[in-house]
Amino acid sequence: MEEILKLKDVNVTYSNKKKQVYAVRNATFSIYKGDSVGIVGESGSGKSTLAMALLRLHNEKSVRIEGTAEFEGKNLLALTQEEMNAIRWSGISVVFQKAMNALSPVHRISTQVEDIYHVHEPKAGKEEIEKRMVNLLKLVNLPERVYHLYPHEMSGGMLQRVAIAISLLHNPKLVIFDEATTALDVVTQGQILEEVVQMEKEMDMTRIMITHDMSVVAASCNKVAVMYAGEFMEIGYVKDIFKNPMHPYTQGLLASFPSLKGENAKLSAIPGFLPDLSKECDGCIFAPRCPKATKECRQRKPKQTETKDGRMVKCILYEGGMSNE
Amino acid sequence: MKRFVLRRVFTGILTIIIVFALNFVVIKMAPGDPITTLMGKENNSPELRAALEEKYGFDKPLPVQFANYLKTAVKGDLGTSIIYNRPVSDMIAEKVGATVLLGLVAAVLAALIGTVMGILAARHEGSAYDVIASGASYTFNSMPAFWLGLMLIILFSSLLGWFPSFGLSDTRAGYTGMAYIVDVLRHMFLPVLTLTLVLLPQYFRIAKSSVLQVMNEDFITTLRATGMSEKKIFNKYIFRNAILPTVTIFGISMAYLITGVTLIEIVFAWPGMGRLVMTAITQRDYPTLMGIYLIMSISVAVVMLIVDIVYAMLDPRIRYE
Amino acid sequence: MDKKYSVKRLWKTITGDGQLLAGIIGILLLLLLIVLAPVLATENPYHFGEDVLVGLGEKGHILGTNHMGQDIYSMVIYGVRTSLQVAVISALISGVLGVLVGGVAGFFGGKVDAVVSEIINVFMMLPSFFLILLVIALFGNSLYNVMIVIGITTWPSNAKLMRAQALSLRERTFVKSATAMGETKTQILFKYIIPNGIFPVIANTTMGMSNAILTEAGLSFLGLGDPGIISWGQMIYTGKQYITTAWWISVFAGIAIVITVLVFYLLGDGLNHVLNPKHVNGRE
Repeated sequence: MEEILKLKDVNVTYSNKKKQVYAVRNATFSIYKGDSVGIVGESGSGKSTLAMALLRLHNEKSVRIEGTAEFEGKNLLALTQEEMNAIRWSGISVVFQKAMNALSPVHRISTQVEDIYHVHEPKAGKEEIEKRMVNLLKLVNLPERVYHLYPHEMSGGMLQRVAIAISLLHNPKLVIFDEATTALDVVTQGQILEEVVQMEKEMDMTRIMITHDMSVVAASCNKVAVMYAGEFMEIGYVKDIFKNPMHPYTQGLLASFPSLKGENAKLSAIPGFLPDLSKECDGCIFAPRCPKATKECRQRKPKQTETKDGRMVKCILYEGGMSNE
Repeated sequence: MKRFVLRRVFTGILTIIIVFALNFVVIKMAPGDPITTLMGKENNSPELRAALEEKYGFDKPLPVQFANYLKTAVKGDLGTSIIYNRPVSDMIAEKVGATVLLGLVAAVLAALIGTVMGILAARHEGSAYDVIASGASYTFNSMPAFWLGLMLIILFSSLLGWFPSFGLSDTRAGYTGMAYIVDVLRHMFLPVLTLTLVLLPQYFRIAKSSVLQVMNEDFITTLRATGMSEKKIFNKYIFRNAILPTVTIFGISMAYLITGVTLIEIVFAWPGMGRLVMTAITQRDYPTLMGIYLIMSISVAVVMLIVDIVYAMLDPRIRYE
Repeated sequence: MDKKYSVKRLWKTITGDGQLLAGIIGILLLLLLIVLAPVLATENPYHFGEDVLVGLGEKGHILGTNHMGQDIYSMVIYGVRTSLQVAVISALISGVLGVLVGGVAGFFGGKVDAVVSEIINVFMMLPSFFLILLVIALFGNSLYNVMIVIGITTWPSNAKLMRAQALSLRERTFVKSATAMGETKTQILFKYIIPNGIFPVIANTTMGMSNAILTEAGLSFLGLGDPGIISWGQMIYTGKQYITTAWWISVFAGIAIVITVLVFYLLGDGLNHVLNPKHVNGRE
């Protein structure tokens, strides 16, 4: 299988005069062509920060990004903004959470789509762009007339579909959905996820699905990466992990599923709170909340361990090449 | 759009009615009887008293009085100046041109310069320019316009002798054609500068804060993520969204502008409404004062109505409401 | 323990916002000037001396004298009293009216609200300075009239803020439960709505104080000031005739106005940052 995105030791640190917040630490994993990877975690776990970092959308004065993130052989984290602009939308595009605010309120969809299309195809004519967009709108079950509307003339669900259609304008190799369906009601969310999965079959695209909702992962992804306090705890196939979660945090997360609703819902199965991310931590970051933590867990960092079924788990319990139980 | 405009027109009309009502209440409540108020303190002609009593009918029931008052005012009769024995509307019509010239030039200059300065401050937030410009905006915001005018006279007229300090033109020189226009411009310089300086801070602050706010909107992040150039994002998307509050401020500041113009006209002996206000006050010429209040309130209401309609055309969210 | 904590937090809030800190220091200095005016002033500012139109530093007059022989320095010092009096009393009137009208409109809603909001909109459009001017010209130019009229013409912006607060507060659980407990509307208005929603109005009223000072100065400049009182606006007004020969009469009074107004703006902006959840910007 062909690797499309390869992260190695990616750290994202927010810093101001007073303190540093280590929002993402040592992210190391690969995404393969055709994958649909769900990145799950509580709010504050660093999943959106990672997406913003990959697209280099942070204010670079207050955010430090280290490590490498290779996309088609280029390290995204070392490119200049100009070089990055060439990759944005044609290589990687993104659908943001708040579709209501994802488009300029005083410009028509058509105007915004034309401008976005012209970024990579400066010579494209109006008809050509409209044709392209109308085709994409069909994929997300929206009528043609939507093209000429203003954002406030549409519902949240319609806007989210428009945002998805816009993300596909330049046939990107990788699309990041950043909590893209969170604000929608369950029915609309279900419909959109179905459309996305259907689309993927037709269009050969790779997708990252950032969410706090396990059911979104279950409905639309083949792989899942569990994130906690800026670190990846467990990464593997959805079918394996849902059946047999290995990391204690994943176990807790799945135990509270499907009751975990809303960003700030408490994890019923895991008592305690997210750790203070502005402090360095010697041991496993999850140890203070982990029901299975030992003395060793508090003293040293766990290594990433590969298991037989091809999953990665970062937990001392499995370091000896132990089996799944 | 239609509903929005209709609503605005309704508020406008209501404003004008309320202005008349306020005027009426003031006449009725003022110490002494209303006719004396309308006649001015120094005047005691019995014929005039009879004429005014006939005209306003203050012996009739209140609603009739008010209706009567409204009727005469709607016909364009704002009363007669006792001092000059002329219709107040004529006197105002004579002076309003000079006032509009001064106010309009300053308002447009302040809006343009203030907005550009505000945008620059937002783009370079925290820079030395931002700190200085923000500080200056605070200071000029705290300045009484008429005092600033006096200070500029001291500096540019008394000390440097660059610009004339009073009047609209040099009447003794008797300029014509181009020379006259240059002369008027030279006379306008100090009053316009004063007014622009005191109006500018509002535009500066609103432009700065709304650009900062729009730059943090989610759709700007989306546009950045598409690889669009910062220049295009700014010139088209940030600017268009951030300019809307400036339009609103232009309307809201009309009342403030008119006050400023009046006071500044007095400082620079500009032959506009301000001069009229001043003489009316010193002569206790109440009908003139009331007429000016009416006219100014109505003009402010009309200008705000126009600004609101312009706003509605710029913001599609209102257009389709 | 609890008290100590909140004092500490208050201190942190004040020192954390530069504008608020500057404003508070400024206000304290102005209050000090009010108290110490008799000590600081070199002369009785109401005294018409023999030194007429004396320049800076001449004959013991630090900032010179005016055409009546009054000492400018002492007048500037005593002017703080007038300005602050105008600011506080008119803002108080405006604040109380605004809170009551806005609170009632927002809390009761329905037709009351529709009518009151429309009136607020109308009054916010009117050039209040001319109404004030008209009333003062008719009713006489005592300082009390000036303060009262400024107060009753500037309440609409306060009412607007209070109305918005009341609108959102009445949907909150503690208000709803108070209704369920059988408390009367008036009780709820005064016990829950106003105390919880008043903060943005406080910030706005502080801004209003600067506008009141400027309005009083403007009126004085038109010759409508209280002749029995020392006011900076009147100093500028009388100094206008001597602007080329005795510039000091109006220059220092103006500087005093700028500093005082600035202090209230800084305080108001600072309070806005701290008290107002929405950071409403701008003035008027």
